[in-house]
Order: sequence, then structure tokens, then C-alpha cells
Amino acid sequence: MTQAEIIEALLAFIALPEATEAEFEALALKLFAYQFRNNEPYRRFALQRGRTPLSVRRWRDIPPVPITAFKDLTLSCSPPEAAERVFMTSGTTQGIRGRSYHPTLAVYDRSMLVNFRRRFMKGRERLGMGILFPDETELPNSSLAHYLALARRECGTPESAVFIGANGLDLDRLLPVLAQAEAGDEPYALLGASYSFVPLMDALAARGQRFALPPGSLVLDTGGFKGQSRELAPDEFYDGLSAAFGVQRSSCINMYGMTELSTQFYDDGNAACPPVKSGPHWIRSRVVDPLTGADLPEGARGVLVHHDLAHFNCVSAILTEDAGEIVPGGFRLFGRVDGAESKGCSVAVAEFLAAARG
Amino acid sequence: MIEYAGHLPGLTREELRWRHVRHSAWGETVEIALPELDEAQAQALCERVRSSARARIRRMEVARIVGAIDEAIARLLDRQHPLRRKAEQLLPIVTGYDRETVRLGLTSYLKTFRRPQLLRFLAEDFANPGMLDAFQPAAKGGFLRARGPDLLLHVWAGNVPALPLWSLICGLLVKAGTVGKLASAEPLMAGWFAGLVAEIDPELGECLAIVWWKGGEEAGEAAFLRAADTVMAYGGNATLATLRAKLPITTRFLPHGHKIGFGAISRAALDSRKAPALARLAAQDVVRYEQQGCYSPQLLFVERGGMVAPREFARYLAHELAALARRHPRRQLSPEEAASIASWRAAQELRTLDGMSELLSEPADSWAVIHVEAVEALSPSGLNRTLKLVSVDSLDEVPALVAPYRSFLQTAGIAAPPAELFRLAARLGEVGISRITAIGRMTAPEAGWHHDGRFSLLDLVTMTEIEHSAEAAAEGFAPYVD
Repeated sequence: MTQAEIIEALLAFIALPEATEAEFEALALKLFAYQFRNNEPYRRFALQRGRTPLSVRRWRDIPPVPITAFKDLTLSCSPPEAAERVFMTSGTTQGIRGRSYHPTLAVYDRSMLVNFRRRFMKGRERLGMGILFPDETELPNSSLAHYLALARRECGTPESAVFIGANGLDLDRLLPVLAQAEAGDEPYALLGASYSFVPLMDALAARGQRFALPPGSLVLDTGGFKGQSRELAPDEFYDGLSAAFGVQRSSCINMYGMTELSTQFYDDGNAACPPVKSGPHWIRSRVVDPLTGADLPEGARGVLVHHDLAHFNCVSAILTEDAGEIVPGGFRLFGRVDGAESKGCSVAVAEFLAAARG
Repeated sequence: MIEYAGHLPGLTREELRWRHVRHSAWGETVEIALPELDEAQAQALCERVRSSARARIRRMEVARIVGAIDEAIARLLDRQHPLRRKAEQLLPIVTGYDRETVRLGLTSYLKTFRRPQLLRFLAEDFANPGMLDAFQPAAKGGFLRARGPDLLLHVWAGNVPALPLWSLICGLLVKAGTVGKLASAEPLMAGWFAGLVAEIDPELGECLAIVWWKGGEEAGEAAFLRAADTVMAYGGNATLATLRAKLPITTRFLPHGHKIGFGAISRAALDSRKAPALARLAAQDVVRYEQQGCYSPQLLFVERGGMVAPREFARYLAHELAALARRHPRRQLSPEEAASIASWRAAQELRTLDGMSELLSEPADSWAVIHVEAVEALSPSGLNRTLKLVSVDSLDEVPALVAPYRSFLQTAGIAAPPAELFRLAARLGEVGISRITAIGRMTAPEAGWHHDGRFSLLDLVTMTEIEHSAEAAAEGFAPYVD
């Protein structure tokens, strides 16, 4: 298949109301063949695993690439210099950033919007939105900045705005907007990185101020704290959000996305943590034993593998560094799998790297 | 069955609070009760050990202490002794190491603490060990006497069985009142040993306490940290830094941080007769204690130009690791340990795509060898039987490849002819290596070794000296003066 045919097939697939495992598998195998043919490092990787389009018959056997590969290798089926957009990871470890090349954003955008409307907007055409993350023009390589720009442009009211600029959180603009939203009866939504909410909650607490946003208002956080703010335990975080903005925890939605994917996962609120997360019919997840790569049964904790058909130009199957378990209706996410310190007195990778960074 | 850990003279089991911890491995479970002393109990215990030390161990001759240790070790070496049987039964469950590894490891380790070896320890650090008992004439004139601290606190870490005995015995040899904090990962052996010593020489047993507190819990540890004159601590740099920050400035602090070991194999050792044997020895170094020891190898530099090329040597090594995996199965890994290996393995696997390196194991194997042709600097492996083998044109390149990591260096295993061994040793010494061993002996330091390049006994003592002037002046005040 050519790139144009792949894109056309994907847009059609996303437009379906749902898909069976067999339908997912059929397209997954076509995409694997496409990626195997056009993505040279991935072909070598697959060959080393003894997996080729001829030998692989099930989507579960398509070899997932460890996400660290996005740092070391150029994973792209089209010339990387011709990409419309390159999304990069924030590069928290070692300063090397993983890259995802997008020859077009048509599939990414469609995947994001169809899913966002279904899981966040829930039938509403538009919502007043406050974005707690820098704008796309400021962070052109951030997939989250693009995601939020898309949300604001396609699903936000004209007054929706970004409240984080070059000088950080713009409280002077945000607080009047929240006060105005509180006074009205239209639902309002705050969306941003999890760590952006922490200084906002702190500032409100310092002023002894809290809001009671109108019924139907929503919060969307994503990405965790990444050392950018204090670390809060999930219950503390969602209790804090609920108290600060008057939005029930069941209306606080966490989006789980990655630079190495073109599709996001959502939960249905965080009344209880960790909630079940799930994605649309064009992405499927497995939980594997990190050492053998073998599938683990439902309820067993392992490492998450995501298979995102929409991430067609890089690789669709990725091995994450996130711990999770499969449950009915999706999976639970338990955060990053951290490497162990040695149980004895030998130095392990994390301590060694920390020292090497100085 | 509940196994009570520690050795707490003057405290009864009923007086103490116990924290119960379960360890499981090899299909068995053991419940261990760890003592949690409150502040008053901790303070009283430190005081008791300190005053017992003054009244008792200080007045003993070193020979008596050596005798008691020798006897305790003899019982632990006796495979029929109830405590030895208990050690062989429980330590595999607690640490996860397989029974044979524990049994062999215990014997080879314990036998370095018999009387002749203890005397060697003493001779290694003191030209005249008699100075631990009485003033001895000094070469420069005058007299010298060496004194250990009144209260020496050991903070142990890690799961290598019986490792704490090393510093515990050093403390006793210099007549220190001793409090040892058990490592949660191996909380048994030090307490058993202390109990044996107390049984053999009750007076000595009074000068010795083995305790536990949860790392970082202020209430438990503050009293101990305040009371100690000297603290010898093991752990990662972050743990050590936290500990040091809590100590009074007048307390001597002797830290032993985590280390990374490596090997260097000369082309002279790589012929078809020697290479397979060497690979077997290197594999044993990797398998013993699953690379958890500070002296365990995580990387081998292998010289090109021998009859056996580095890539063939990597195959010999893989073969030996596969064989050892059957004889000594790897212990059950925690999810974090598995993640460490998986992430190391994934990174190595991706690098093999450029054709310059080769991964010699399947994901299902309980070991992994990566062979890299392009030269690269020292780096940690994923531990638990994962090893990198780097080809070099000459072993002379090695010092520069390890030099950047000076603070993590300790042991290098070397297989090379004598002239090369000494040349390389000199240059490795310059960049921070403190111990050079044969391949196959990396995890078994010899008696009297200098841990991290330091003096195990001398570092613990302070000297009292009678200068020649005092001695000469004293003559003037003698009753027999003319």
C-alpha cells in the first residue's frame, strides 16, 4: 500500500462507529507490512525478533518497539526531512529526545478529535476552555501543545484562552475568567499538564480563594508531575482540584497520551484511583512480562504495550515503560516502571546516570 | 515459625516492639521479627554497650577476642551446627539466592575469619598488633597505643549473605563497643553471629548489640546516630549523604558507597585452551550474588588479536552462563529488577541494529551477554546476570575508559601476563581502582584486603602516643633517680 492509501484506509477506519478484533487485526497486519517495508530500522528490529509480515498472523505478534528506540533511531516510513511536524518527548532523562515524524497531521488530528469529542465533550459542541500549557507556537514540537490547540480551536468557545506564557502561569488573567465562569451558568473546562495545576491550586490556597464552577464543568489533566512541580498522590491531587474549582472528582478526567502515539486514552473520571483507562477502536493495549514480552493474563501487573493504528508513519506497536494491568473495559495504569537500585552494593544504572549528569 | 532478629543485651523480647516482615522465595516463606526500639530503649542500649566496652572489651587482650571470633566462626563452618543449618535453610528464602550459592558462599566467606586470617588482618594494619593491648615502642621514639572507638555504629545494607560480618569483626578486633544496624534485605546473620559470640564469651557479648530501625525513621535512628563516635555505613550515595547530614560534626563517618566492577582480558589469555576456562571463571564472578556485590563485574574489556577473538570469547561466556543458569537458577526478580534488565536489554538490542554489536541470549533466558565491537566507556549492566563485553585493540585503552567514573571504581579482574598485569595495575590505580584480582576471584576478597583501598582496622583507631620527651622527663622523677 502507498502512504496515500494507508491514510485513506485509516481515516475510513476511524470513521467507523466501532471495529471488531478481526477488523482491527486486518488493518494492523497491513500496517505492519507497510512499516516493515518502509521503515528500515524497524525492519531490522523485526527481523532480529524473527517477525516478518509473512510469519506474523496475529496483531499481538507484531513486535513492539521499546520507546527508548524513538531516541536512538529514526523511525519513519517517509523521508523525515519532509515531515509536516516532528513531535519530541520532553527529554527528561539524559537530554536525548524521542522523535515521532508526521508526514501529515490529518490522521493525528482526526484520531484526536473523534476520540476527544466522544470521551471529553460528550455531545457538547463547544465549551469555554482555559488551557494551562504553553501555546503551540511556543512549543512547536510538543504533541501536548498541539493536542490542546486542537481542542481549543475545534471544541472551544471563541473566548477560550491559553493562560501559560513565557512568564509562566498568568494568574491575573485567569482568575477573573474563572470568576466570570463561576458567575455564569455555562460549564467551563480547565485543561493542561498535571503539573500546571499544582501552582494554581497553591496560589488559590495562599489567597484563601476557591471557585465553584457551574454544573457540567470539567478538568482534564495529563502527564503527571515529571519533577516540574511537587508530586501529589492521586487522591490528594483530585481532592485538591475538586476543592479548588468545585468540580467533582468524577468530572476530573485524566488523559494518558504519549509522543510515541497518535491516539490518546481517557478515563471516565477519577472518583476512585486508579480508574480504568481505555481508547477508541483503532488502538489496543496488551500487558506483557517485560523480560519475555509474553502476554500476561487479565489482572496481572506488567508493562503496557500499545498498538495504535493511527501512528502509521513510525511504528504502531510500542513497548512503554509504564506499569499496568488489563481489566474489563480497558486497563489500569500504575505509573512508570522504575529500575531498581541494586539490592547489594553494586551501582545500578539510575545512580550511575545521576552521577554522570553531575 | 517466627525468627527473631538482632542481639539486644539487657532487653527482653517482651519489652520490645517487633515489626513482622515476611520473605518468600523458592516456594517457602519465613516470617522475621525485627526489633523496633523506642528512643529511650535505644539510648539506654547505647549507654550500656559503651560502658560495657569500657569495663570489659577494653581490658581484654586481642588474643582473647580473636579466640572468641575463631570459635564462633568454627561453629558457623560446621554444617551440623544448628545455627549453620538454620542459616542454610533461611538465608535462601530471605535473600532469594539459591541454596548452593548460599552454602558455598558462606563457607568461602566464613573461612576468611579463622584465627590465622584474623592474625593476618591485624598484621596487615599494625606493624605490631600488640599496640592494641598496651603501649609499644614507636620507631620514631616514644610509645604508641591504638584505641578503637568507644561506640562504633555500623549501618549495613544489601542482601549479600553475611557481608556485615566483615566490618563487625573489624570493630571487635580494635575493641570497639559495637552497635550494628541490620540490613532489611539480610537481617539475620549479624544477629546470629553476635549471639554465638555472647554464648562463647559472655563478657564480649555484652559489648555488642545488633539492632534495626526503618531507614530514615527519625525516632528510631536519632538516638543511635547521636551516641556513636564512629559510623561505618554502606549504601547508595543518596542514602549516605542523608545519613552524613544527620551526624554531629565530631562523629567520624566512614562511608562505603555502591561500586561497579569490571574485567580486562589480555589477548595472551585468549587461546583455545585458556579461553574456555577463563570464560567459566568470569561467568562464576557474574553469577555469584547476581552481580549485587560492589566487586561484581558488570562489563569485560576483551583485547583483540588473540587466537580467540572477543566475539568468540563472548560465545564461550554465553555458553557458561547458560550452563550455570541450569545449575544455579537465578533468583526470583522483583518487578523493578525485571524492568532494569528489560530496559538495559532493550537499549542493547536497539544498538545491535547497526551490526556492530551482538546480543547473545533470548528474552526467555535468565542471563544476557551483549558483545560490542565499537569501543565504549564503562557503564552498568542491568545486573542479575547481564554483562557487556567490549572489544578493545589494546588493554592500554582501558584506564581512560573507566577514569570518568572514579568514585564508583573498586575492583578490576585482570587476566594478563605478569609484566602487563603490573603495567595495567599501575595505571588503573591512578584512576581509582583499589583492588585487582584474578578473574574468578572478583567476588571473594582475600583476608586482610583493603576495602575501597582503605585500612579496615587502622581507619577505626586513634593513637595515643607518649612522646619521647615525656618518657625521658619521667626518668627525672623516678624514685631511683640519682
